[in-house]
Amino acid sequence: MTPLRRDVLVTVLLVALAATVPFLTSTRYIVTQTTLFFIWAIVVTQWNLVLGVAGIFSLAQMALFAAGAYTTAMLGYYWGVPIALAMLAAAIVVVIVSVIIGLACLRLRGPYVALLTLAIAQMLYLLIVNDTDCFTTPPSGCMPLFGGVRGISRFGDLGFRALLGAKWYVAHYYLGLALLALAILVSIVIIRGPLGLAFQALRDNPGYAMSRGISRFKYQLWVFAVSAFFTGLAGGFYAAQFAVVGPTVFSLSQLLLLLSMMVVGGLGRIWGPVLGALLLMLADEGVRELGDWRDIGLGLTLMFFVVLLRRGLAGAAEDLWRRLRRGRALVVPGR
Amino acid sequence: MADALLKIDGISAGYHGQDVLRGLSLTVAEGNLVAIVGPNGHGKSTLLRAISGLLKLTGGSIQLGERRLDRLRPDEIVAAGVVQVPQGDLLFPEMTVLENLQMGAYLPAASARMAERLEEVYTLLPKLRERQHQVASTLSGGERRMVGIGRGLMADARLLLLDEPSLGLAPIIIDQIYEVITTLKHSGRTILLVEESAARVADKADHIHLLDHGEFVWSGAGSELMARPEILATYLGS
Amino acid sequence: MDVVIQIIASGLTLGAMYAVSTVGLSLVYGSLNMLNMAHGALLALGGYICFYTMTALGLPAVVGVLAAVVVCGLVGLLIYVCTAAPLLGSPQFETGVFIATIGFGAVVENVILRMFGPQPQPQSLQVPGDIVIGNVHIPNQNLLILAVALGLMVAMALLLKRSRLGRAIRATAQNREAAQLMGVRVGQIYAIVLALSGGLAAISGIMVSSLYSLLPNMGGDPMLKAFIICIVAGLGNVTGAVISAIALGLLEATAQYNLGVQYSFALLLFLVIVVLIWRPYGLFGRKQVVRL
Repeated sequence: MTPLRRDVLVTVLLVALAATVPFLTSTRYIVTQTTLFFIWAIVVTQWNLVLGVAGIFSLAQMALFAAGAYTTAMLGYYWGVPIALAMLAAAIVVVIVSVIIGLACLRLRGPYVALLTLAIAQMLYLLIVNDTDCFTTPPSGCMPLFGGVRGISRFGDLGFRALLGAKWYVAHYYLGLALLALAILVSIVIIRGPLGLAFQALRDNPGYAMSRGISRFKYQLWVFAVSAFFTGLAGGFYAAQFAVVGPTVFSLSQLLLLLSMMVVGGLGRIWGPVLGALLLMLADEGVRELGDWRDIGLGLTLMFFVVLLRRGLAGAAEDLWRRLRRGRALVVPGR
Repeated sequence: MADALLKIDGISAGYHGQDVLRGLSLTVAEGNLVAIVGPNGHGKSTLLRAISGLLKLTGGSIQLGERRLDRLRPDEIVAAGVVQVPQGDLLFPEMTVLENLQMGAYLPAASARMAERLEEVYTLLPKLRERQHQVASTLSGGERRMVGIGRGLMADARLLLLDEPSLGLAPIIIDQIYEVITTLKHSGRTILLVEESAARVADKADHIHLLDHGEFVWSGAGSELMARPEILATYLGS
Repeated sequence: MDVVIQIIASGLTLGAMYAVSTVGLSLVYGSLNMLNMAHGALLALGGYICFYTMTALGLPAVVGVLAAVVVCGLVGLLIYVCTAAPLLGSPQFETGVFIATIGFGAVVENVILRMFGPQPQPQSLQVPGDIVIGNVHIPNQNLLILAVALGLMVAMALLLKRSRLGRAIRATAQNREAAQLMGVRVGQIYAIVLALSGGLAAISGIMVSSLYSLLPNMGGDPMLKAFIICIVAGLGNVTGAVISAIALGLLEATAQYNLGVQYSFALLLFLVIVVLIWRPYGLFGRKQVVRL
């Protein structure tokens, strides 16, 4: 069985497993938290393509996610666009924004990309938070164009509340699961496919790869575009799920959480991000009462993994697997 | 018979898990000039890097007098008296000639006698005194080589390692460089140098070793090598 | 005319504050190729240590500043030991250190949050009074900041240009292997550079908090600004960084006057984005090398 087929099979199995969860539990909290896990998992699998596979040091993913959320909310709030449509439109908008960012980053090397994307994210955050002029004045009070500090709410939903009443969140669960499955499949196809190989070549031996016609720029833009689509979609879905979008999506805390997910799971690996997202959401539940310690714990986790377990848990698992298989084969010539 | 200053015993070293040097042994006697020649890519620079501690050995040992070098940090090896003039000079591009030389005397022992050492180097290489305030990146190839050698001399080394001193230079400049090297040898310095071509060094070196694929395939006095043109042809393409 | 003097006074003060922390960042990147994302946390730490020493311990300002510098210098050392040293030589050094220092910074900021709470506090180190030029009042606080910053810049310049250590730092930044061949213990140099950077961050943090106020996350924006300055100047270019810092300060003061504080930072960032796209190595930068 080819690695590609194996990965697809694993995805199908995991999806089937996840699909049973709403039947196994009647606790609404578990279902909605798992939906949140789906959302973050989508974002990190896509971010992983940019950071882990293509090696582009972009910190823009949270900003793209926020852009997706805000676009969806604003389309719904100002123009009454049905949310499902708004989500798709938002995804496309985010792809365009991402390609622009990608173009800007093309000529930049590593740390400059990080700083540029950080600057962009921070600029968007400041624009939203510092805007105190009232764009409209609904009965609830002053409403700046982007919602200001309080954010945007009451922009409509996906219609499941009307359809299913109190069980609307189950429908959201399956929608989230479907989106995640698609996002994972896309990331598998990319990593196992020509794009993934091209990036591997560019990382291992850039001179040779480029002399063989592998255009780094073209592939970089592709990665920016593709990863942005699902990120934007996830943002839109987040808006639909939580019914309010505010500047907290830009917070350092969130960035920390997502970074940790990727680092703990394993950058560049296929299953790393999902594994990391799962572990960190579980851990987050565990330390919920501890408040400030959460970020301290995240910071320490980040440091620990980056320095000691560089390839993350998925990478370490792969290494272990490889060593076990080899141990049964030839004796390594001694030195 | 002069004492062995540097003793290399069966060393192996390489990159990315692959050994470039295999079981190499070599001694350099005090006051001698020993040359290692051979085609490029076969380990000449690797050998010097290993001696200077920039590369870890996978086997064998290196000794300077009674002291083992191969377990020391690069800066400790310099402090022990082994100074290398690396391939391509590796000057500090944004520093002046003077500052580069001052870096050569970084270690406390040499730093204390900075003025004295500068005088010695300027006397040997007068061009450097002229250009002492010029920024290194603006120098010509030959001038850079001189700065590199001058820098290496600032530390008053027991053993001087020269990695391809003639690399990339015009023949006239190479002559000048080798004049300097000959002067150094005659003043009693111990020198281990590496060159691609044997021609330049054959008549100056006390011993020559031919390095091929990480192993010494021929060793002897310089004059012997010149008398054996077939060896030159086989390994060095004449 | 009064407006111009006001803007220049504020701009120079801001620029001076930024210059102090930027020099540290620039040095660290120039010699180590390391983006220290914990720099902002060090700024905050410096401010809080000074505050704590002066209010809780009742000690004079000089002790407060000294304590802040020493503690932040040690924390800078700790950053080297925990993040940079283990990753040195690994191909993922830049990325790894970047992420690891984000983690380190988060830990420091949250420890501060736990110990001092989320409410803003005024910095105890305040110099009362002002001087008057024409119709413009320039607070003595600003003048002090300017004087200290100037003194520090001169000291750093002397250190880098004239001292043996400064030469070693520059040499390590320009060619690490060659520096090793000269007998420089590069690990030690890195540690010293990070400690220096920590001390500078502490002073910058005290300055910033004396003009605004103390908050656990107060270091975030100044750090971003410092990085921006470094980028505009070209990472590793120390003199360029100082000039750019002052220019940025003046720009920010002008923008604040015309547009109000809210938009000035956003405008600055937008300008930076434009600069980076136009000149990917920064306005003055060439390669990553520490130059004076």
